[in-house]
Amino acid sequence: MNEAASGLSALAVVDLHKEVRVGFRGRKLEILRGVDLNVDRGEVYGLLGPNGAGKTTTIKVALGLMRPSSGSVATGGLGRESIGYLPENPYFYDYLSGREFLHLAGRLFGLDRRQRCDRVEHLLDEVGLNDAADRHLRKYSKGMLQRIGIAQALVNEPELVLLDEPMTGLDPVGRVEVKRIIDRLREQGTTVVLNTHILADVGELCSRIGILCRGRLRWQGPVAEAAAASSDGLEGFFMEVVGREV
Amino acid sequence: MKCSFAIALNTFKETIRDRVLSVIVVFALAMIVASLWLATISLEQQARMMKDFGLTAVTLFGLVVAVFAAGNLVRKEMEKRTVFFIFSKPVSAAQFIFGKFLGLALTVFLVVLGMGVFLFFVTWLVAGEAAGSVLLATLLIYVQVVVVMAVTVFFSTFASAILSSVLGVCIFIAGQLSHNVLSLTRLGDAEVLKVLSWLVFIAMPNLAAVDAKPSVVGEGSIAWGHTALWLGYLSAYMIVALLVAAWVFRRKEF
Repeated sequence: MNEAASGLSALAVVDLHKEVRVGFRGRKLEILRGVDLNVDRGEVYGLLGPNGAGKTTTIKVALGLMRPSSGSVATGGLGRESIGYLPENPYFYDYLSGREFLHLAGRLFGLDRRQRCDRVEHLLDEVGLNDAADRHLRKYSKGMLQRIGIAQALVNEPELVLLDEPMTGLDPVGRVEVKRIIDRLREQGTTVVLNTHILADVGELCSRIGILCRGRLRWQGPVAEAAAASSDGLEGFFMEVVGREV
Repeated sequence: MKCSFAIALNTFKETIRDRVLSVIVVFALAMIVASLWLATISLEQQARMMKDFGLTAVTLFGLVVAVFAAGNLVRKEMEKRTVFFIFSKPVSAAQFIFGKFLGLALTVFLVVLGMGVFLFFVTWLVAGEAAGSVLLATLLIYVQVVVVMAVTVFFSTFASAILSSVLGVCIFIAGQLSHNVLSLTRLGDAEVLKVLSWLVFIAMPNLAAVDAKPSVVGEGSIAWGHTALWLGYLSAYMIVALLVAAWVFRRKEF
């Protein structure tokens, strides 16, 4: 039995392979080549890697949006009703207002009307979109969309939150707000997997990181250990790990 | 079921807030009003012409709204990647397909019924005939349109939006003609043609069987037992189309 199945890990990925067929001839492309990683309960875990490393695919397989070619993903017994997800470059229904959109997310999680109303108002406040709650999403800026995206990922009070590039498109104020939200999640004991390119944020927010490159996990461990391993800090360590591969 | 209703409500909002729908509805109402002009040039056939022309307009515009919206329904979710939002929640493919269908079916119901009621009042005001049969025929038109919509949703799980819509229109035409083709080939001697037309008849929804327009314009009467049987058959056809659509969609990766 792996750690996730036994309840120690919130996310355990074991020897995960993913192949897709591309092009007219259906050429095989191996995106994941045996990824092994584990995320402990209650930690903020940074999943790092250059573009095309397989970070988003790993998250999609964990959510069941893609099927693994082989290997396994266990979410510590958590079903999708206990997981929150913010996709990369999210696009949401632009004909809905922010409030309607969060209510839709709540309905999909099966929340009753009272729970939904309380939760939606709390989250609108949390992500600072109270004033824009009744505006259609088509009139939201990229930063506002990112924040409403984070709010929909938290509507079910998840135990595991998967955030794919949550800082993309945010101005400095928006980034500070998102960092505060992630901090609050950690304080509440929620497990957060943060898929990002911004190493400075990882240093501030994460307790452990995993570095993916070309479909394999190259390194996994505490952020402090990674930062201390190179004279250039976390950035230098990251470049050392992926540099020889890129 | 809660998830399906949530998706249905969202789809209803999506389609009802679409400006293209308003344009189509305005056009359809204009066509029904245009039937007034046709009625003036038809001697002693005023009401008949209005009902004939009006019901044809209801059918055509109902079909246009249904197949073009249904063709886009699932495709748009995939192209705009809103499926990530939906399927990261505890939602199954069947709940998604059923919810999308239900939401659009509600929009199409309002559009078709709205046009039918408008035609009813126009006929009443101009020709002085309160033809309840117009409303009945409108409901049966809705049944035809909604069956074609279910098949179009099935096509949209694997084909492009345009192709799905075109195939939906083809199914509608085939569904109107399949019975006639079967009758015609029965008159001839060609066995191959008989078998082929029988296969087409089985594969296509027999929409003509629930077409009440001929009876509304005075060409025969509705055989209720016969119509009820065909309504059962069309309901089963629709459910099978949606189940197969859900099965195809379940196999997809995003």
